[in-house]
Amino acid sequence: MTFIEAIRSALHDAMAADDRIMVLGEDVAVKGGVFLATEGLLARFGEHRVIDMPIAECGIVGAAIGASLHGLLPVAEIQFADYIYPAIDQILNEAARFRYRSNGDWSCPIVVRAPCGAGIHGALYHSQSVERLFTSTPGIKVVIPSTPFDAKGLLIAAIHDPDPVIFFEHKQLYRSVRGDVPEGLYQEPIGKAAVRRSGSDMSVFSYGLMVHHSLTAAEQLATEGIDAEVVDLRTLAPLDCDVILSSVKKTGRALIVHEDVLTGGIGGEIAALIAEHAFEYLDAPVRRLASPDLFATPFADPLEEYFMLNPQKIAAAMRDLARY
Amino acid sequence: MEANDTPPHIRLGLSRQRLIAGLRTMIASRETDDRLWLLNRQGRAHFVVTAAGHEATQLGCAWAIRVGHDYVVPYYRDMTLVMALGQSVLDVLLHAMARRDDPSSGGRQMFGHYSSRRLRIVSGSSSVGSHLVHAAGLGLAFRARGEQDIAVMGLFGEGATAEGAWHEGLTIAGIHQLPVVFVCQNNQYSISVPVHREVPVPDVAMKAAGYGMQGVVVDGNDVFAVYEAAYQAMERARAGGGPTLLECKTYRLRPHSSADDDRKYRSSEEVESWRARDPIKRFEHYLVEHNIITAEEIEALRRDVRAEVDAATDAAVAAPYPPVENIADHVYG
Repeated sequence: MTFIEAIRSALHDAMAADDRIMVLGEDVAVKGGVFLATEGLLARFGEHRVIDMPIAECGIVGAAIGASLHGLLPVAEIQFADYIYPAIDQILNEAARFRYRSNGDWSCPIVVRAPCGAGIHGALYHSQSVERLFTSTPGIKVVIPSTPFDAKGLLIAAIHDPDPVIFFEHKQLYRSVRGDVPEGLYQEPIGKAAVRRSGSDMSVFSYGLMVHHSLTAAEQLATEGIDAEVVDLRTLAPLDCDVILSSVKKTGRALIVHEDVLTGGIGGEIAALIAEHAFEYLDAPVRRLASPDLFATPFADPLEEYFMLNPQKIAAAMRDLARY
Repeated sequence: MEANDTPPHIRLGLSRQRLIAGLRTMIASRETDDRLWLLNRQGRAHFVVTAAGHEATQLGCAWAIRVGHDYVVPYYRDMTLVMALGQSVLDVLLHAMARRDDPSSGGRQMFGHYSSRRLRIVSGSSSVGSHLVHAAGLGLAFRARGEQDIAVMGLFGEGATAEGAWHEGLTIAGIHQLPVVFVCQNNQYSISVPVHREVPVPDVAMKAAGYGMQGVVVDGNDVFAVYEAAYQAMERARAGGGPTLLECKTYRLRPHSSADDDRKYRSSEEVESWRARDPIKRFEHYLVEHNIITAEEIEALRRDVRAEVDAATDAAVAAPYPPVENIADHVYG
């Protein structure tokens, strides 16, 4: 099953099992979503649970919040992460704080799905990674799966999570990655990282598309005698500090790889975590490899290629760290 | 509407008991408002945002709500409203003084952020206009659940109508003809900016046409006019007739908040001219004129309310703050 089929399967199976779940967003009903993530839901669950919304991102997330107050489990789709900005007030000022500001009386169990990421010739407004904007506000969870299995299991977990979950899906993964995905309902735990490749010489921490590039790079490095561990963070908020620290304590070297920009990206937070809690175990400074502090991404092919990380760039950073 | 001489309270079926309870709520709101300004000057309440002048609008709206059944999505000026829905003077003072037992937020929110899941009063932020999308979402939820005979009332000042979130909330409610009544309490200023610099048309209600809903303008200082319009709008919403934008024209009789000095942007003559139209005095006059209550009984009622406010003040001042060890509670579920 492809990644996008796994997302679709999660929505179908979850909605069939629980009539509190509704889907709302631009083009999600009749068209089934611009990436077809919601295809077939309208015919199966009807127009009151699968709702085509006007181009109003604040309204889409705000309406999801309102519906959740009456006990529903809404899944809002932002068509591209690049357009999540009008909804930021609703996500950070409203959904994140509802339980806290009412002293536990209300809550907002919503999911906001948003396709993210570059490398598909999407230029400045169909390529962005914006997770750094959401990982520093308490009250919300941020999930970015890398495999079809996780995409389904984490999305179902997100829908049933009591807190608002921002669920980013890398567009390049939608049809390029396949994997075994069980039929029916299952959940993968939010807040738990997964070790994708066990190794002893260094730890590579990544998520989303970059997990695949990091694994490719790690296989290349293995042929050069460097045995890297690759950790798929899966959830950026809350971070799985235990897995991060136990991995780096084992390997003594850490490289964080993400497509989000360097400055303010989650890599800085992970580096600080390691510096505070695993400094004595380090054999080298913590390194970060991220997109340049520019805008994802210029339209012209050579500029996009320059901007994007790839297995070669990651392998080079790993070699450099191994040599320190 | 019947064009006859029947007094509005009879025409609208408002019992003597309900009228007097309503008057008591109005007086309690004003007396509590007055007390809060005093407590603010004494340094015992950090912040006051006034409801003075809005009492008729809010009572008329509250009368149209089925408490604990319909949802209410209020804004920071809705003290009379929440009192009419069931929050007590003590509840409001505990909220204003950020005490542990503040039912709205447990001492977490600045004054004016009323909330009660039991009463279906939805918690709000201070971000103006951000809550009307929640009202629309509640309407979508009723439809998804197949629930009828239920409505939402969302309230805001005219300043909120310039916000993008306000526009999106009304757009969604209009497209889906959701059971939401949008109530604008037009007091003619957003802090200092006068209405002609906030709203590009003479009446906020004119905007309703752009959202596929009815727009209604009423005198917000006439509790009967407000109730009649709000009741009709809520009944229409509950019956599947879609949303309404109800504009209640009123005036706030005090500065926006304890952090505001209204002498910079409006004349004392203007304020005095509206004091002469005080909605509470107007309601009292009506009730006396129609032999619902005597002037002496009103004075007794006022003394009774003052005693309640005194007792509630003492209780709130003596009430404990929320314990610091609970500061991180309820961040996640």
